[in-house]
Amino acid sequence: MSEEKIKVIISKVGLDGHDRGVKVVASLLREAGMEVVYLGMYQTPESIVKAALDEDADVIGVSYLSGEHLVFTPLIVAEMKKQGMDDVLFVAGGSFPPEDISTMKDMGIDEVFRGGSLAEVFVSYIRNNVGKKVAL
Amino acid sequence: MSADKSDKEDQKINWDAYLQAYYEKPASTKTWSGYDVKEIYTPEDRAAENYQANIADAGEYPFTRGLHRNMFRGRYWTRREVVGIGSPADTHERAAYCFENGGTGLNTIADVTYEMGLDADHPKAHNEVGLTGVNISHIKDMKTLVGDIPLDKVSWSLITASTAAAATMAQYVAVARNKGYDISKLHGSIQNDPIHFRYCGFSPACPLDLSIKLGSDVMEFCTKEMPKWYYTTVNMYDLREQGITAPQEIAYGFGIAMCYIDELIRRGLNIDIFAPRFTFYVSCHMDIFEEIAKIRAARRMWARLMKEKYGAKDPRSMHFRFAVHTAGCSLIPQQPLNNLVRIAYEALTAVLGGVQSLHCCSYDEPMCLPTEKGHLQALRTQQIIAYETGVTNVADPLGGSYYVESLTDKIEEEALRYMKEVDDIGGTEEAIRSEWLDSRFEQEALKRQKELDNLEKLVVGVNVFTTEPEKTTPLGVQRISGNSSKDQIEGVRKLKLSRDHKKLEAAIDRLRDDAAAGRNTIPAMIDATQAMATTGELLGTVREVFGYSYDPLNIIESPFK
Repeated sequence: MSEEKIKVIISKVGLDGHDRGVKVVASLLREAGMEVVYLGMYQTPESIVKAALDEDADVIGVSYLSGEHLVFTPLIVAEMKKQGMDDVLFVAGGSFPPEDISTMKDMGIDEVFRGGSLAEVFVSYIRNNVGKKVAL
Repeated sequence: MSADKSDKEDQKINWDAYLQAYYEKPASTKTWSGYDVKEIYTPEDRAAENYQANIADAGEYPFTRGLHRNMFRGRYWTRREVVGIGSPADTHERAAYCFENGGTGLNTIADVTYEMGLDADHPKAHNEVGLTGVNISHIKDMKTLVGDIPLDKVSWSLITASTAAAATMAQYVAVARNKGYDISKLHGSIQNDPIHFRYCGFSPACPLDLSIKLGSDVMEFCTKEMPKWYYTTVNMYDLREQGITAPQEIAYGFGIAMCYIDELIRRGLNIDIFAPRFTFYVSCHMDIFEEIAKIRAARRMWARLMKEKYGAKDPRSMHFRFAVHTAGCSLIPQQPLNNLVRIAYEALTAVLGGVQSLHCCSYDEPMCLPTEKGHLQALRTQQIIAYETGVTNVADPLGGSYYVESLTDKIEEEALRYMKEVDDIGGTEEAIRSEWLDSRFEQEALKRQKELDNLEKLVVGVNVFTTEPEKTTPLGVQRISGNSSKDQIEGVRKLKLSRDHKKLEAAIDRLRDDAAAGRNTIPAMIDATQAMATTGELLGTVREVFGYSYDPLNIIESPFK
């Protein structure tokens, strides 16, 4: 990456209200030198992707803790494709069964981080993978 | 300390590391909440003890040692497992399963759509109906949930926390009356703590004034009509899950409880008329003695608060009666079976603390909703404690421990300090309005994560003894059938087309009038529920009276004009 800061859009989606983790992650990414925009709750695939376009983000991070990961992941990926967003990393955090991780990756998500992940793991993943994404 | 086995070289035993491990001592001697403790506590630490004033036998003021003289010899705690999955019929089925396996109390939980006050056919609800609990959109859904359960025999805990608790109460009472029950004989509880629920992502459904209004309406209604019903479970647990410490859990929880108590007193109710039905939901986290000390401190503090601040005279008004939810945030997905051990310790802690009702988490909760096997294991954990360990024989078995008594004093002192801090900024309502409390939660949550990142707190599978995460969930994954939600959405659509609109509109008019006139809204909500008004319609009508949008998400408009 160049000298420019990595820009991350981070968000909840749908009605899931568990926002402790997503706010902690936003703070930790900021402390790691990234520029973070936290969109808050009740976002939609459209509002998240629009924000990422408007902000020219490098990364979209979504938090799932209410079993909604298989519902919203394909909707977000479809919206990213629709907007021609093929170089933005899409990562997710939260609670979901290990059985679903490969399904989520098949749907087009780049990486997932479940509860109990340490900061260095997701910070270094983003640093190492930003800008290297192959088109969807 | 590291037991990272990722390196192939490590597969041979490293004897230097072995020696290091053999002589290893704890890296930290602080409690979970960060307090330094001494290596031993002795009679000297308790030299100034005033047993009767500060501790006293169980069953005696200030109830530090328990609410009842004989505690579990009189009756075990209620063994409840929270159930909420898919449709009302799915939830009924799982609740019945828990009963068949020795559960002694029902405990059903609302999903995100119901807590937000949305009907299943709301445009923002359809993706998420039934994913985290059960949506009750109308009286028929509640009737399905109840099924053949004898309401006069069971103790049912209805977990709806937001302003939607008013709708839940109305729907439960409407079904009970239709089935011919005398509601004054029903026993159970409703969570009904909308103030705290803004911190769980439901702020659009829980504006502060409406939270106090509808929360207190349920409390007042039950006080007058359902004397055996516990009308709130002030949820200290959810606050703790935000990342705060043990004494903060007490301080901020009590602050919210007092918002309701102050309102009920403003309505002219005598403290001793309503306070005996006040209850709490408490977390049990991993530090066994600190959590027991927290529970003992909370009992003493609540008794004093009710007696000294509110002038209660009936000892039952001074009872800090509580359910425990073992700490969901202590569970991890990386080594899932270890969660069984964590849950067992936390449940034991609750019992040693003198709990009234217990929900053990299922080991699979960091992955999915509890599977049937997960639920069964949680229930068996409770049963093993109750029937095998002998801890039920004696009230407050840790009372008199130099350490536990000293730690109880410490937690009380810290909790009082946090309560004073809230008072100094103008009280809990101000702490909420100014978002002081939000920023406090955020600071603490960040601290908790840094403690893990910096190895100040160790969690097996997270920052010590880590392994490749397991690829499958050991006892299977709970899935929600898409057909359940489709049927439910179809059900509410059909109901809306087939109602007697004249009757419905008259009932909604009355609800609107009662809300506008400052009367208790629950009787009108019950009548409107019987006239087939839906959850969204009940709450939306009251919201409009208070100047809020009909729809918390501001998408649909009121069908009534």
